[in-house]
Amino acid sequence: MAENLSENPRRSEPAELPAAVAAPRSRRTVQLVWLIPLIAALVGGWLAIRSVLDRGPVITISFKTAEGLEAGKSKLKFKDVDIGQVSRVVLAPDLSSVIVTAELVKGSDTHLHEDTQFWVVRPRISGGSVSGIGTLLSGAYIGVGIGKSKEARSEFTGLEVPPIFSTDAAGREFVLHSPDLGSLDYGSPVFFRRLQVGQITGYDLDKNGKGVTLRVFVNAPYDQYVSSNTRFWHASGVDLSLNASGITLDTQSMVSILLGGLAFQTPTSSSPLPPAAPNAVFQLFANRVEAMKHPDTIVDRFTMIFTESLRGLVPGAVVDFRGIAVGEVVSINTRFDPVKGTITLPVEINYFPERFTAREAAGPRTGRAARDPKAMTNMLVGRGLRAQLRTGNLLTGQLYIALDVFPDAPKAKIDWSTTPPEFPTVVGSLQDLQNSLTSIARKLDKMDFEGIGANLQQTLKTATKMMTALDTSVTELTPETKAVIVEARRTLDSADRALASDSPLLQDSRAMMSEIARAARAFRILADYLEQHPEALISGKKEENK
Amino acid sequence: MAGSQLIACHECDLMQREVPLPRGGVAFCGRCGAELYRSHPDSFERTLAFTVAAIFLFAIANAFPIVGVKLQGQVIQTTLFDTVRTLYSEDMKSVAVLVFVTAMLMPAIKLFALTYLYLPLRLGRAAPHFALVFRMLRAVHPWSMVEVFLLGILVSVIKLENLASVVPGIALWSFGALMLLMAALAAVFDPRGLWTRMEATR
Amino acid sequence: MTAPVTAASLGLLGCHVCGQLSRGAAHSHDACCPRCGAPLHSRKPDSIARTWALLIAAMILYIPANLLPMMYTSSLFGSQADTIMSGVVYFWTSGSWYLALIIFFASILVPLLKMAVLLFLLVSVQMRSHWQPVQRARLYRLVEVIGRWSMLDVYVVAMIVSLVQLKALATILPGPGAMAFGAVVVLTIFAAMAFDPRLIWDPLEEERG
Repeated sequence: MAENLSENPRRSEPAELPAAVAAPRSRRTVQLVWLIPLIAALVGGWLAIRSVLDRGPVITISFKTAEGLEAGKSKLKFKDVDIGQVSRVVLAPDLSSVIVTAELVKGSDTHLHEDTQFWVVRPRISGGSVSGIGTLLSGAYIGVGIGKSKEARSEFTGLEVPPIFSTDAAGREFVLHSPDLGSLDYGSPVFFRRLQVGQITGYDLDKNGKGVTLRVFVNAPYDQYVSSNTRFWHASGVDLSLNASGITLDTQSMVSILLGGLAFQTPTSSSPLPPAAPNAVFQLFANRVEAMKHPDTIVDRFTMIFTESLRGLVPGAVVDFRGIAVGEVVSINTRFDPVKGTITLPVEINYFPERFTAREAAGPRTGRAARDPKAMTNMLVGRGLRAQLRTGNLLTGQLYIALDVFPDAPKAKIDWSTTPPEFPTVVGSLQDLQNSLTSIARKLDKMDFEGIGANLQQTLKTATKMMTALDTSVTELTPETKAVIVEARRTLDSADRALASDSPLLQDSRAMMSEIARAARAFRILADYLEQHPEALISGKKEENK
Repeated sequence: MAGSQLIACHECDLMQREVPLPRGGVAFCGRCGAELYRSHPDSFERTLAFTVAAIFLFAIANAFPIVGVKLQGQVIQTTLFDTVRTLYSEDMKSVAVLVFVTAMLMPAIKLFALTYLYLPLRLGRAAPHFALVFRMLRAVHPWSMVEVFLLGILVSVIKLENLASVVPGIALWSFGALMLLMAALAAVFDPRGLWTRMEATR
Repeated sequence: MTAPVTAASLGLLGCHVCGQLSRGAAHSHDACCPRCGAPLHSRKPDSIARTWALLIAAMILYIPANLLPMMYTSSLFGSQADTIMSGVVYFWTSGSWYLALIIFFASILVPLLKMAVLLFLLVSVQMRSHWQPVQRARLYRLVEVIGRWSMLDVYVVAMIVSLVQLKALATILPGPGAMAFGAVVVLTIFAAMAFDPRLIWDPLEEERG
C-alpha cells in the first residue's frame, strides 16, 4: 500500500516541497529489551547494597576449644535471639586457642562493649540445673551477654563456662570468704528463707592459699535483704541435730542436699540496716547456728595452765560459764621450762566478753560490760572465778573448760605480764575427789589427840570410883544375885545344847544348805546351757547325740 | 559459496535451500521436521540483553540463600554452594560434583560465553578465539540444567514442609527468574545470525 | 516431490556446531569446520557402538539406582532408607499426589522411557529399518528434551541433605542410590549425544541410491 501511495503519480506535487529527512536507523538506539537486564541489574545492585549495608560488625572471639562450633552454621544469641553468625573458625597462630570470627547483625555494634561476654552454649549439667538441652538438637551456639561498659571493642576472649546470670540481670554480687569450698560449685543455689534467690558465680582460692573467696549473685528483689550484718552459711547437705526437743533435720532443699548451696539471713534481733553495697564482703559460716551467733567483735585471749591430763580437750572446745559458751579453745601447747625442768601445758582460749553483755540492755550496741575490763576480771578472779577442766561427755571423754566461781579456791591472780595473760585454774572434778580425801586426811592430822587422852584418863578415874561404889552395894544384894546367876547358867546350857554339832536344829539347817547348793549348781548348768543354746527356751532341750 | 543459500538438516542431513522467513518465523526440515533456523526480531540485541540480565540473576541466585528451614527456632539456610559443600563433606563427592557442574559451572560458562561472543560484536568487532568459545558454548548447552534444579528445589521444599517451616530465600526467586530468562534466551539465540554478524565484521 | 539429496551424498559436511556446510571427504576424520574449527564428520564416529556402550552401562546402573536407598534418614525415632520408589509411594499415600506424579515421572518414567527409546532407535538403525523415520526422529528429539529432567531427584536429595542438618534430631545422608542415579542420568545424556539421528535416514538413501 505504501509503495503504491508513494509511487502514485496521480498527484503532481510541486517540486519545491521539502523532502523528509531520512535518517538511517541508529545502531545506538536502546531497545526496550534492555529494560530486562537493567531491572535485573537494579535488583541485584539493590540486594548487594542492602547486604553490604546490613552487614553488621565483625568480631573475633577466642575460645579454648571450638567444640560444636561450625562456620556458617553456629549462631550468636542474646536472650535467644539471633544476633549474628560464626563465619570462620581458625586456630590461633600459637595453637593455644581457636579464634572464632563472627558477623553480627546490623546495629549490634552498639552492644560490643568491653565487658560484653561470649560463651559457648553446649549441653551442660551443673549447679543444680541442666542447661543447653536445646543445643543437643540444634548444635552449639554462642551466648552473648551484653555489657554495660562504654568502651567499644571488637576482639573478645570467650568464657569457658557460661556465666550464671546474664550481665543485664538485676541484682547484686557479693563476696564471701570461706575456709573451704565445701561442696559448692559454679551455679550452686543461694537460698533465702528456702527460696532460691541467687547463685554462686565464681570462686577462687585465695592468693595465700588459706581460704576461698566466693562470688555470689543475688537476684533482685531479694538482694535488698542482704544488709551489712547478714550472715551467709553453707546450706550443703543435711543438718541433723539432737536436742531437748528431739531430732531436728534441717535442709534447704533436695538440690542443696545433692549439690550444696548457700543460705543467708539477717539476724532478727538487729535493727534493719540499709542493703549492703555490691561486692560487699561477708564471712561464710559452716552452718546456720554458727552463722546466727551474735558476732563476737571483741576477743580476749588467755592462757590457762592445767595440771591434769588434757586428753579429750581439742582446739575448738567450748569455754563455758554455767552452760553458756563464752569462748573457745584455740590451741594446746606444751612448754618446757629449762630452769625448773618442768613441762607445762598452756591452753590458749578466745574469750568473747560481749557474751556477758546483756543483749536486751545493750541492744544493737555491743561492747563490754565494764569500762575497765582488767579491773573487772581482777575483781571476779578475786571472788573466786577460776577455770576448770570438766568432762563434757562421759562416753567420748571430751573435755571442756568451765569458768565458775569457786569461793573456796586458793587465792590467785591473773598474771597480766605474760601474753596472753594467764588465767588461774582449779583442778577438775575427779581431781577434786582426790583433793577432798586429802583434805580429810589433813583434818584428821590436825586433831588434838593428847587432849582426848587426858579426857579419857579422867573418865577412867571416874569409872574406877563408880566401880568401888558398886562393889559395896553388890555384896548387899548377893543371895538374889546368886539365884539369878544360876538361872542364867541354865539358860545358857540349853542354848549350848541346841547349837551342838549333832543337835537336830543344826542337822536340819545343814541339809537345807546343801539342798540350796545343789539347786544353785543346777541353775548354773541351765544358765550355761541356755547361753550356748538360747533357742532351748522355746524349743526345749534337745537330746544330746552320743 | 554454495552454503550461503543451502542448508543441511542437522538431524537427517537433507540439503535444503534457505527461504526468507517472516519476522518470528521458524524454518523446519522438510523431511524430518527438525527446526533448522528461526528468524527472531532483534535476536542479537535480545540475546545480549537477556544474557546480561541472566548474569545478574545468576549472581544473586548464587550469593543468597535459596531456602531456609526453620526448626527449633533455628534457621538453617543454604546457598547453592553450601549444598555442594555439604554433599562433598558427606562423602558424596560424585553427586556433589554433578550438582556443582550442572547447576553452577555449566550455566556460568554458558552465560559468560554468550557475553564474550555477543558483547564485542555489539561494539563492532569479533572477540579473539570466537570459534573456540562458540564451540564451548555448544558443548555446554546440554549440561546446563537450571530449570531442573529449580524444580528440584520446589520438590524438596514441599517435601520438607511436613518436617519444618520453610522460608524461601532471595535466591529462590532469582532462580525462578533465571529459569524464565534462560528459556527466553534459548528462544532468541540464533547461531546463524551470530555467524552472519561475525563474518560481517571481517 | 524431488528425491531428497543429503549433504553427504553431495560430498558436503555439515558442521554439528555452527551448521556451516563445507566440502570434504565423507569419511575423513581430520577435517575441521572452516568457520568454527570443530572436527567435521559426515556421521558421528562410531555412533552406534558408543551409544550401545553408554546405554548398557546406564541400564546396568539403573538397577542399583532403584534398589539402593537415595537417602538415609536417621532421627530420634529410628533410621530409614528411602529408595526412589518408596519416596513416590510416600508422597502418594501422604496425599501429595502431584509430587508423587512429578517424582514418578522424572525419576522413574523418564529414565526408563529414555533408555527404551534409545534401545529402540539403536535396534531399528542397526536393522536398517524403514519404519516411520519421521516418528523415530520425533522420539529422538523427545529424548533429548526430557532426558535432563531425570536430574530432579539428584537435586532433591542434594537440597534436603544440606538443609536437614539437625545433628541429633534428624540427619539425612545421601545414599549410594543417588550416586548410581546421577550416573544413569549422565550416561543417558551422553548416549543421546553419541547417537546420530542421521542414521535413521540413511537406510532410505541407500535404497534409493
